[in-house]
Amino acid sequence: MRPPARRRKPFPVASLLMLLGVLACPAAGAANLVIRLQAMDGKVVPGAVITARPIDATARKAAAVHAVMDQVDRAFVPDVLVVPVGSTVTFPNSDSISHQIYSFSSAKRFQLPLYRGTPYPPVLFDQPGVVTLGCNIHDEMLAYLVVTDAPYFGRTDSAGSWSADLGPGRYRISIWHPRLHSDGADLERELTVGSDDRAEITVRLAKPLAPAPVNRPHSWDY
Amino acid sequence: MPHPQVNLRLGGAVLAMVLALACGTARATDWQLSIDTRLVSSDADRSVMDGGFGPVRFDREDAALQLGRLRLALTQAIAELWSVHLDASVYDDKGGALAGFSEAFVQWRPYPRAGYRLRLKAGGFYAPVSLENRAAGWDSPYTLSYSAIDSWLAVEVRTLGLEANLDWLGTRLGHDFDLGVTAAVFGWNQGAGTVLAGTGFSLTDRQTPLFGRVGQPGPPLPTSSEPFVQIDGRLGGYGGLEARYLDRLTLRVLRYDNRADPSATNTVANTIAWNTRFTSAGLRAESAGGWTGIVQWLQGETRIAPGGFEIEWPFESAYALVSRRWGPHTFSGRYDRFSVEVRGIDGDGAQSGHAWTAAYGFEPNAHWRFTLEWLQVQASSYNRDEYVGSPWSVQTQVQLAVRYSLGSTNR
Repeated sequence: MRPPARRRKPFPVASLLMLLGVLACPAAGAANLVIRLQAMDGKVVPGAVITARPIDATARKAAAVHAVMDQVDRAFVPDVLVVPVGSTVTFPNSDSISHQIYSFSSAKRFQLPLYRGTPYPPVLFDQPGVVTLGCNIHDEMLAYLVVTDAPYFGRTDSAGSWSADLGPGRYRISIWHPRLHSDGADLERELTVGSDDRAEITVRLAKPLAPAPVNRPHSWDY
Repeated sequence: MPHPQVNLRLGGAVLAMVLALACGTARATDWQLSIDTRLVSSDADRSVMDGGFGPVRFDREDAALQLGRLRLALTQAIAELWSVHLDASVYDDKGGALAGFSEAFVQWRPYPRAGYRLRLKAGGFYAPVSLENRAAGWDSPYTLSYSAIDSWLAVEVRTLGLEANLDWLGTRLGHDFDLGVTAAVFGWNQGAGTVLAGTGFSLTDRQTPLFGRVGQPGPPLPTSSEPFVQIDGRLGGYGGLEARYLDRLTLRVLRYDNRADPSATNTVANTIAWNTRFTSAGLRAESAGGWTGIVQWLQGETRIAPGGFEIEWPFESAYALVSRRWGPHTFSGRYDRFSVEVRGIDGDGAQSGHAWTAAYGFEPNAHWRFTLEWLQVQASSYNRDEYVGSPWSVQTQVQLAVRYSLGSTNR
């Protein structure tokens, strides 16, 4: 028989997050954790990066991957990419114009001139952190690479949801969004996952997101 | 000064050099070619572009079909951090053609470090004043005719020198703001102010080529000007600030002084050094819903003192622009006001007026742009009274522009 759901105490409003949901904690096995992210006004927040890191156990590390961050029509595609530490990323440049990709973020400093028709070797990201990408020629180009050492990670979908199958234990859940300026500490919460059932949490941000970039024609800026 | 034909030859040589560089290097050339043709109806006086006092580009004597602009722009990387930018244009010129480079410069653009970015430019280019002329070729995506402020810059003001720009890229560091400072030293702009003092402000989109001339030389109206001349040995300078809030707000302030000695003359070329100074400030705001609002203000003076007899023309202009974009459709409206006063002589060159501009643009794809614009200038001018007959006039120009562009930047 399923035990009654335990209502968690909401986090202080002064913090960036308010957990509004209900966490169901049955007996044993793996739980399917679903996090739904909402803005202050209750609207869903797609595209946020969520990571879950075990606190007690030694976590298995997510395997490094080879990912692609393309340049299409003077924009990075995707705008946010999450990869495990040790992954490599290729920047192919599908545009007919040149780009000069750079990052001065502490997690990875690099410069990469991308002339069309010339392949470039992939870039290794071996430190966790957020890598802000820009183009030295086209100022409006902006993207983020989130390099994580968490075994569970992903982005919220168009409904603002992210889910993962977690084993029992305590986890540190982190939320990151390019339009939610924060040093990270106030966007982390501890969570106990106990069993083999489904747990749903709704997280409401207590701080507004910065405005989304203006979508203007390329011909407006040279 | 170089004759326009000489400019063309010079331009051809530079172009050939850049193309040779492009062929000799693995680095790609980014290029853009566009042709802009106009159907024009105007009741305006003989245009300032033709040596008259009409405040708009096309006048009642102009044919209905006009070449708006034929433009070829090239950006050639010559090393990873160095590039050459050439922006060449051909404009109608009353039966002939006015051709040359509106901008031609070398840029050094090192990668940003620790949030700071330095850029150096050397050559001929625009000072960072305009908030509406943000598109390729220093054109406006909102209207065909530039504001009175930007028209004056297009006609008479250009940096021929060295500019340094340092940006703090706060938005790349998790903040909401970027900040920038700009400083430049330049020469060969000691003719700036001649047209303003002679005919006042106008609303046009014809950019005087570097070392080119404005108006038509010779009688009956002596309103031909060569803005890009150096008469004394003094260098001009400007300094500016820019602040941006995300990509929503842009604030620009600039102080310009060409530092020409107003008593200097060139007796061989029969030219006078015009000391021109101005301060400009502007704010552009954009919304996610497609709205743009721009307010800009510019105030300054130009003066000459040949033989110690000083004449000064203080000038001021401001505009407010509102634009709304729905997909490929852009609707824009702008109100300009402007004035030129004169101190030292009786009225010569004084002007006061305002203008309304309404434009509709349709840009179905990266190649085509169609623009319909109505522009009305209401102004009172001392020289119109002297040469045309009455000081006050209401002049209207309607244009339909069709522009086709192609190139590596918009394929």
